[in-house]
Amino acid sequence: MDMNLLMQLFPGIASLFTQDPIIAVARIILIILGFVLAYYGYKRVLEPLIMVPMGIGMICINTGVLFLANGQTGTLFLNPLISDPNALVNIMQVNFLQPIYNFTFSNSLVACLVFMGVGALCEIGFILANPWTSIIIAIFAEAGTFATLILGVALGLAPNEAAAVASIGGADGPMVLFTSLMLAPKLFVPISVIAYLYLSLTYAGYPWIVKMMVPKKYRAMDIIEDVPEVSKKSKFIFIIVACGLLCILLPMAAPLLMSFFLGMAIKESEIVPYQDLLENTLLYISTLMLGLLLGCLCEASTLLDPKVAIIVALGIFALAVSGVVGVIGGWVVYWAKGGKNFNPCVGIAGVSCVPSTAKIAQHAVEEENPFAVVLPVAMGANIAGVIVSAVACGIFVATIQFVK
Amino acid sequence: MNVYAYAGLTYLGTAVISLLVIGIIVLLNKLMGGNSSEGGVE
Repeated sequence: MDMNLLMQLFPGIASLFTQDPIIAVARIILIILGFVLAYYGYKRVLEPLIMVPMGIGMICINTGVLFLANGQTGTLFLNPLISDPNALVNIMQVNFLQPIYNFTFSNSLVACLVFMGVGALCEIGFILANPWTSIIIAIFAEAGTFATLILGVALGLAPNEAAAVASIGGADGPMVLFTSLMLAPKLFVPISVIAYLYLSLTYAGYPWIVKMMVPKKYRAMDIIEDVPEVSKKSKFIFIIVACGLLCILLPMAAPLLMSFFLGMAIKESEIVPYQDLLENTLLYISTLMLGLLLGCLCEASTLLDPKVAIIVALGIFALAVSGVVGVIGGWVVYWAKGGKNFNPCVGIAGVSCVPSTAKIAQHAVEEENPFAVVLPVAMGANIAGVIVSAVACGIFVATIQFVK
Repeated sequence: MNVYAYAGLTYLGTAVISLLVIGIIVLLNKLMGGNSSEGGVE
């Protein structure tokens, strides 16, 4: 059979032989990585809500390659690198994910929608029950962000790029999406992909940090406290005051902050139809689209930027430092409370990956003492972590130009 | 400003703003007769 006909019949395979060998190898690696992510999502080792669609997107964007005009290769999914308005209008009529990417992802709308849903799921009473403990742990657990900024600049990134990558240290997906878009639009695709990949890996990595830093007998400690009654009125006032205060202090992060606190306000106001919409519809459709788009952004040619290797290293450094210093924060609170009625494992929950890190703290404790419950305190630190991450990112966006 | 000073100052700023926000909220909570195990009205 004619070779050209074969190439026309199976462009996905043929393009592997006609492309730059580096891109072809990267495609194969990304296809395998997609399988791994989807499978471990299915096995619940990684976060399934993101990893199953992301893994499938990653596989399909790298297998579904075809020959376009002028001998170029491409897909029918999306092209994140188009900025010319005319080309964008044309490609929107071809690539099925292009409108969703441009109208929800690249302007952070999807991040805001996820934040509204997360807000509607958060119980603000946890932070009001232990406000100082929560915020102190969260401040410790933000250390990775600032350490990564320094390392990023030392490794040759521009300060704005280093700050965008450093936001991974806050372990808050929507916040990373938002910050990288504001500070380093050219690196926003690899930063957001790597951030979500790593955030899912916290499920696997953070329990080890907790086990290494908190000996068994301390992990088994229960936190016994009379959960204080926090009135609905107090919670609602907290939400609107915190929202107004943070927005006036950090206008650059106002869209995300508004989304988060709006979700909380709807929950506390018991506006049931809105609550159902946010919790059951918007959150899940946003997360599905987010996972799928992140997977489809993992196209070999998009990710083959020389800076990606640095971002990969910095991302893992940021999350590791935040996790370790978060647990140190847990120990500081434990000692400050006189070694009583506090479990240092809660420190990991200061890393604001809601609610994953709070669950990790609870699991670590449960393994040693099935009757111990630290989740309410851990959730307080978790939600405080969102606030501290928003503050850190807002400060970066507003002031990074001062770094020379 | 060099990056070390910037990182230090922004970390400090983050801590101060976060504590300030929580402080105001705890104060409001107290004034409104709310309850908290760490500084609210018991």
